[in-house]
Amino acid sequence: MRSGGAHWWFVGPALFLMVVILLMPILMAGALSFTSYSLGNPGAAFVGFDNYEKIFTRSTYAKMFGATFRYVFVVVPLSVGLGLGAALLINSTKRFGDLYKTIYFLPVMAALIAMAIVWEFALHPTVGIVNSTLERGCGTFLEGWSWFARGCERGFPLWLTDRDYAIWTVAFIGVWQGFGFNMVLYLAGLTSVPRELYHAAEMDGAKSAWDRFRLVTWPMLGPTTVFVVTISFIRSFQVFDTVEAFYPQGGGPSKSVYVMMFAIYEKAIQQNLMGIGAAITVVFLAFVMFLTLVQRWLVEKRVHYS
Amino acid sequence: MSDTALPASAPVSASRAGPAFRFSVAETAKHLILVLGSLVVLLPFYVMVSYSFKSPAEIMQNMGGFFGAQELFRDDYCVKLGRDLADCMVTPVIYNYTTAFQKAPLLRYLFNGLVVTISIFVIQVLVALPCAYALAKLRFWGREAVFGLVLFCLLIPVHAIALPLYIMLAKLGLTNSYAALVIPWTISVFGIFLMRQFFMTVPDNLIDAARMDGMREFSIIWNVMLPTAIPALLAFAIFSVVAHWNDYFWPRIVITGDRSLFTPPLGLREFKGDADGDNFGPMMATATIIVTPLIVAFLIAQRRFIEGITLSGMK
Amino acid sequence: MTAIALKAIEKSFGSTRVLDGIDLSIADGEFLTLVGPSGCGKSTLLRILAGLEAPTSGIVEIDGRIVNDIRPASRNLAMVFQSYALYPHLSVAQNMMTPLKLRDLSFAGRLPLVGPLLAREAYRSILARVEDTAQILKIDHLLDRKPGQLSGGQRQRAALGRAMVREPIAFLMDEPLSNLDAALRIHMRAELAELHRSLKSTFVYVTHDQAEALTMSDRMAVMMDGQILQLGAPEEIYNNPVDIRVAEFVGAPKINLLPGTLDSAGHARFGDMVLTRVTDGGDAGPVTSGPVTIGLRPEHLALCDSGAPQSLSGRVVHKENLGADVYLHLAVQDGAHRIVVRTTPREGRTASLGRTLHVRRLEDQAMVFGPNGNRLGLSGVAGRTVAEVA
Repeated sequence: MRSGGAHWWFVGPALFLMVVILLMPILMAGALSFTSYSLGNPGAAFVGFDNYEKIFTRSTYAKMFGATFRYVFVVVPLSVGLGLGAALLINSTKRFGDLYKTIYFLPVMAALIAMAIVWEFALHPTVGIVNSTLERGCGTFLEGWSWFARGCERGFPLWLTDRDYAIWTVAFIGVWQGFGFNMVLYLAGLTSVPRELYHAAEMDGAKSAWDRFRLVTWPMLGPTTVFVVTISFIRSFQVFDTVEAFYPQGGGPSKSVYVMMFAIYEKAIQQNLMGIGAAITVVFLAFVMFLTLVQRWLVEKRVHYS
Repeated sequence: MSDTALPASAPVSASRAGPAFRFSVAETAKHLILVLGSLVVLLPFYVMVSYSFKSPAEIMQNMGGFFGAQELFRDDYCVKLGRDLADCMVTPVIYNYTTAFQKAPLLRYLFNGLVVTISIFVIQVLVALPCAYALAKLRFWGREAVFGLVLFCLLIPVHAIALPLYIMLAKLGLTNSYAALVIPWTISVFGIFLMRQFFMTVPDNLIDAARMDGMREFSIIWNVMLPTAIPALLAFAIFSVVAHWNDYFWPRIVITGDRSLFTPPLGLREFKGDADGDNFGPMMATATIIVTPLIVAFLIAQRRFIEGITLSGMK
Repeated sequence: MTAIALKAIEKSFGSTRVLDGIDLSIADGEFLTLVGPSGCGKSTLLRILAGLEAPTSGIVEIDGRIVNDIRPASRNLAMVFQSYALYPHLSVAQNMMTPLKLRDLSFAGRLPLVGPLLAREAYRSILARVEDTAQILKIDHLLDRKPGQLSGGQRQRAALGRAMVREPIAFLMDEPLSNLDAALRIHMRAELAELHRSLKSTFVYVTHDQAEALTMSDRMAVMMDGQILQLGAPEEIYNNPVDIRVAEFVGAPKINLLPGTLDSAGHARFGDMVLTRVTDGGDAGPVTSGPVTIGLRPEHLALCDSGAPQSLSGRVVHKENLGADVYLHLAVQDGAHRIVVRTTPREGRTASLGRTLHVRRLEDQAMVFGPNGNRLGLSGVAGRTVAEVA
């Protein structure tokens, strides 16, 4: 309203911090990614696109992208799918809905690092509760399942230290941790679907649950889905706690769990190779920003009904 | 996909409802799936709490059910110190929890965690609230540009720019300090955005009335806007506290070595680093202690927590 | 021929009783309106008929078949909702196709993308019907729009179209006009009545607006407190209400209700105004003297000169000019009661506020209600003694 200059006192601090804490680092990362800078060494050399070339050619980084995408493309669909499934089931039961909701939300509240350590225990090849429980199933009908029979014969997988299982196990923990969050968002979305649309669908002859889901629930959850998918992408791209807890050095068996955030940490903080770390940061930021922009575009374009 | 869509009042369900506890295959199947899911979700919590009760032998051999037998066992460390054997017999649960506090300065970690999360939240509010107010209710040159910047900054996850932030703090000599733990989080663009959206819904008349009463803009923020924003602020508080109490990545980067600055997650990690077989119990006790405050708060005020955590969903 | 029959329908939500033994049969091709104030149970009754709600007890019959255990989707009824309940993500054409697709296409045919290829013939006929219907409703130019891009009236038509395409046994309408503005509402009344005549189909229409009920229906059922108070043609309901609540609910401006007394000869009187005919008590048996309520509609009264026999005099306290009619509000008996009188614009012009006017009752026009709200009948015989009594 009035231009007493008061507004600059209000906006000023936030503006200053935004520039210093959020914008400058991006520029810095961009600049450093063209150098071989390292902390404590004066005189960083300009190396042009060397760092980026390394990222896109060396096998270590190929493994990094492989691990990251494998993780992301397991965790996102599963945590979104399970979140939706849980929300629909809970929404349709008459009893105990709140109890299930509370239980499924617990992992979201718990410090992931603590739960990672517990999972490591639970998945311990010899004393862990998972494998010892599986062993109890030996000699029962479960042996009809060839994977299970093999486990009984030669021992069940080492999970976190087996290169064939490691990334999937870490991804499983990611799903375990994240789907409750998605479930809660979906539950919120479900409450905003107008009841009358279901009645209209029923009057229109939608007899099966599937018809109602196709005709009303799924389309009406469109905006929620766009949001849930994006946030799941961004969160799973940023996975770090579990990987660092399980594999403080090197990113897992034959680098099969060498995800991007861990790569940044290892290269820049542990090995003081700031240039390459900055380059990975830039690539990472590009991914995340691209995803968010796609989300905003989708929200404005496609799922805007009214 | 079950009967989600079916209105509860539809005769299909209603006419067959009859007695309240009538058996229904579909309903039973749903509960079966949900219970199975609950078991998987609860498994690590069970393991954590159960191991924090048990003796090393019980942990190693997977015995003793949930609570363990609670038989006395010999504390080898105590024996090594040359004490009498009889004095070194301990009850597992007491041993685990006392060791958790003795072996590492766990109280100090918890205190650090508290200091850091509270400072972050308070500064976030101090910075974000006036800015949000100005963006929502004052008209000034450059407002659209500032709001545009806020929208752009929403795209940036702070974890992703940890590396340049770390370099900046290192250059300033601020690593290994409370400042390092707090500074990157002082600006919550999300908080600004959220509060701005909230303030937009506050009627202009209220502010004009306050101005007519002779309030300065500054006191309008704290005396008029803040009280109306309490529900949104509470949700944001939960969002912020949960995120920073549980944060591991950032403390891991800026706190190297100085144990007196460790936050709870770092302390737990440190514990794990030098865990040998005997320390599983105390470590699980530590994990339980770290996880418990938020879980208990969540169980007490579930609705508020879920609201706060999913806050990012409202746009 | 009876298309729909509701027998002894009762419905309770918890301990609240919403419907209390409703019996209603609806003839084939009839336009039947359920009208009543909000909370009277009319919408619940419609939803029970649709199957969206199950009755606590009672029987619902459609075409002679008991359908209590048949789900809404299988009853072949179409419903137009108050909020229209159009699928917001589908275009008008797709909205209208939905019931046909669900009825005529197999599961495979309903699949997205491949569906139209698998069932090309069926698709073509569905589309043709949608286009025909759209033409009738004059929304054929809107078929590609989403509901969000339509005005209230256009949405209303789209919702009607969705109901019409499948030629249901009956159309159920739940306050379909209440979301429209006043002018459009009046226009749509005429259009709906016309549509009903051309479709020759059964309409069951729920509204709280007595004007809609009076203007559109073949028969109307006035509901209150979970019961049907009176069922009949609009003229019948208006001219011959059996209950004081019906008389009060139907008609705008409201009927004038005046406290009267019944003398031993059976004449009802209010002040100087005395009804010449004797009440005969109807079912309630012989009439005893005591308090009654006299109902006079505004058009049952006319201005007269002062001193005319059996007239009332009152001060003009308010004037409502509707153009074609002028309604005068008079305070009678020193302001103890108010009555509304319909006058012509010419008469109304001279009646300035504060003036005292005299009104008389038109011949043969009056209703008498007993203490419990029941209508008391009037015998055809005029009591000769009245003048002396007065």
